[in-house]
Amino acid sequence: MNPRLQYGLLRVDKNRVRMAKDYYGYRPDIATDCYDTRTDRCGLLRHVIKPVYGAQHPPIQAMPKGEEKPRGNKRDAFHDFENNTSDAWDDGEDDLLYMANIQMSLKDVRSTAKAVIDNHSRSVNAHNNRLAPKGPQGQYTAIPSATSTHGAGPGVGIRLNSGWQPPKTTPIRFQKEQVPDREAAKLEKFRSVLAGPNTDLDELKKLSWSGIPRAVRPTAWKILSGYLPASMDRRDPTLQRKRNEYFGFIEQYYDTRHQELHQDTFRQILKDIPRMTSLAHLFQQKVVQEIFERILYIWAIRHPASGYVQGINDLVTPFFVVFLSEYIDNDVESENCDLSSLPEETLKIIEADSYWCTSKLLDGIQDNYTFAQPGIQMKVNALKELVKRIDVPLHRHLEEHGVEYLQFSFRWMNNLLMREIPLRCTIRLWDTYQSETNGFADFHLYMCAAFLVRFSKDIQREVDFQGILMYLQNLPTHHWRNEDIGELLAEAFKLKYMFADAPNHLSKKS
Amino acid sequence: MSYAYLFKYIIIGDTGVGKSCLLLQFTDKRFQPVHDLTIGVEFGARMITIDGKQIKLQIWDTAGQESFRSITRSYYRGAAGALLVYDITRRDTFNHLTTWLEDARQHSNSNMVIMLIGNKSDLEARRDVKKEEGEAFAREHGLIFMETSAKTAANVEEAFINTAKEIYQKIQDGVFDINNEANGIKIGPQHSPSNPNMPSPAGGGSQGGGCC
Repeated sequence: MNPRLQYGLLRVDKNRVRMAKDYYGYRPDIATDCYDTRTDRCGLLRHVIKPVYGAQHPPIQAMPKGEEKPRGNKRDAFHDFENNTSDAWDDGEDDLLYMANIQMSLKDVRSTAKAVIDNHSRSVNAHNNRLAPKGPQGQYTAIPSATSTHGAGPGVGIRLNSGWQPPKTTPIRFQKEQVPDREAAKLEKFRSVLAGPNTDLDELKKLSWSGIPRAVRPTAWKILSGYLPASMDRRDPTLQRKRNEYFGFIEQYYDTRHQELHQDTFRQILKDIPRMTSLAHLFQQKVVQEIFERILYIWAIRHPASGYVQGINDLVTPFFVVFLSEYIDNDVESENCDLSSLPEETLKIIEADSYWCTSKLLDGIQDNYTFAQPGIQMKVNALKELVKRIDVPLHRHLEEHGVEYLQFSFRWMNNLLMREIPLRCTIRLWDTYQSETNGFADFHLYMCAAFLVRFSKDIQREVDFQGILMYLQNLPTHHWRNEDIGELLAEAFKLKYMFADAPNHLSKKS
Repeated sequence: MSYAYLFKYIIIGDTGVGKSCLLLQFTDKRFQPVHDLTIGVEFGARMITIDGKQIKLQIWDTAGQESFRSITRSYYRGAAGALLVYDITRRDTFNHLTTWLEDARQHSNSNMVIMLIGNKSDLEARRDVKKEEGEAFAREHGLIFMETSAKTAANVEEAFINTAKEIYQKIQDGVFDINNEANGIKIGPQHSPSNPNMPSPAGGGSQGGGCC
């Protein structure tokens, strides 16, 4: 047995993660060395094929409950794991050496980051001061103080006895873009990759992994999601065709929404959209509600295997907001934008593009929403297995107090963490998810593990079931920025690196 | 905090009837007109006093959409009380009560106390289900019944507390086996040693166990 692995696993990893934390966000070239196109590396969840039933149309016989696999031999499992990961560790050495060589530049990175952050807070304050008198009830939310851990978070933020707080909207951006040189250079790189006659997808993914500049995000997302072709010549005709196709669907299907067969689906959608609080202001606008109604309804009836499941509504939002950003003045927060001022043609384009990109995303996680939601159950289980290995004290703490992973992480899987972090962070997160193979399924799992472990100490401070659950339901992420996501993504990447080659190891139940 | 008993509840009912708002009103004494949809289950808790005894309520608020049923069903087991909620302004939510009740009875322990709640009583002008209909349904199926408004807080305290009183009474009557945590009842950690009739629950001071 490799002794390094036996004792050094967590220690080495922590070093690497710490170093990774320091610069991942700023070194796309490093981050993307890590991008792995070999599909078998992400095979953690893919091996299980389950029968597909509509979530609303269950099979006649009930599914067997929690099929227990026979418990595997632990020593064998560990042996497999070791064999499967030993080469990963060798790779890691090179990584470490490389990291050591760039220590010098870290100082620059830190000082630049500090300057940027200082600038940001100044401009945010100025911005908020300027806007504050206009909005009713703090419509323009300033950055909440870091000490207010009990705010109405981006999640539901309720049920802590902190007194009345109006639901807050969180700005998608905190500030006007202050573009330091590094960012400008990055933007230039993106522009050149996107402008070529044939966009190099691998190159684009490498660049995008560590975050896409706002200006090029709409185009980059459309290409990454597989909606827009890499070939420049084919882009316009494709867009034309797909948009027409979508509006063809509407013509063909939308009238069926009042038919007996479909009216429940449509009623549910109608009920849900005004209740979406991530961008409360936006979702109170009729024109936005109608766009979401059409997108969700058309998707639902074209995908009867799952149909519309609550949570899917949230997944449209990032696409919608990002594509909308192309058409609004940079200085207007999309959440406060009045959409009725946009030309109808523009809204139609945003709607069709949002539909197709959401649809592509959902293709990759459809088993999250089919009958009994097997994809989610599997991922929750995998999360548990993962945390059991990377954070033993946390896992024990949860077990000791009878907290089940399903109780808090079901929503993480069903809504891709969108309820747990601010929308702007989700958008940053999706830059990376779309740069990963099966990012929304496999990489998301590692992200969830990194996310949970991030709060390890705080969770362990809670002394009972109730405290833990309350904390997990209202995680203090309201003030999070891209940097927080960048750190977690670096950790998630490390986990993927460690575990993705050992899917059997993780799937063993114990 | 110390408590004499811990009761576990589950809130069920159609989508949009106000389950989460009832819970929020009960735990936080506030109303949120736009409340985001509940995904899967969410958790809430509050301490109440009955007969001079501190009782901790731990409440699972479930998503109403059919798609989540396979997840939410597992929370019936281990619940001592259920609030079955419909919306007095939407008859379809009343019509679905039978299905909900069957589901609850099938997956819970037989002693679970069920409180039927007709919510949104503040919307009298839009009322679609008469109070008498709710009462009749409750009588027929052996449930307790109340009309509530999560918005004005009318009867919200009472709904949660009356359910607890009923459970408490069943304990006094010896109907509930309080040593079996699967019944959704736990004796407070500091109460068991002083009372020889109440053996210490397994696991000592640790919370939970089982699925919820």
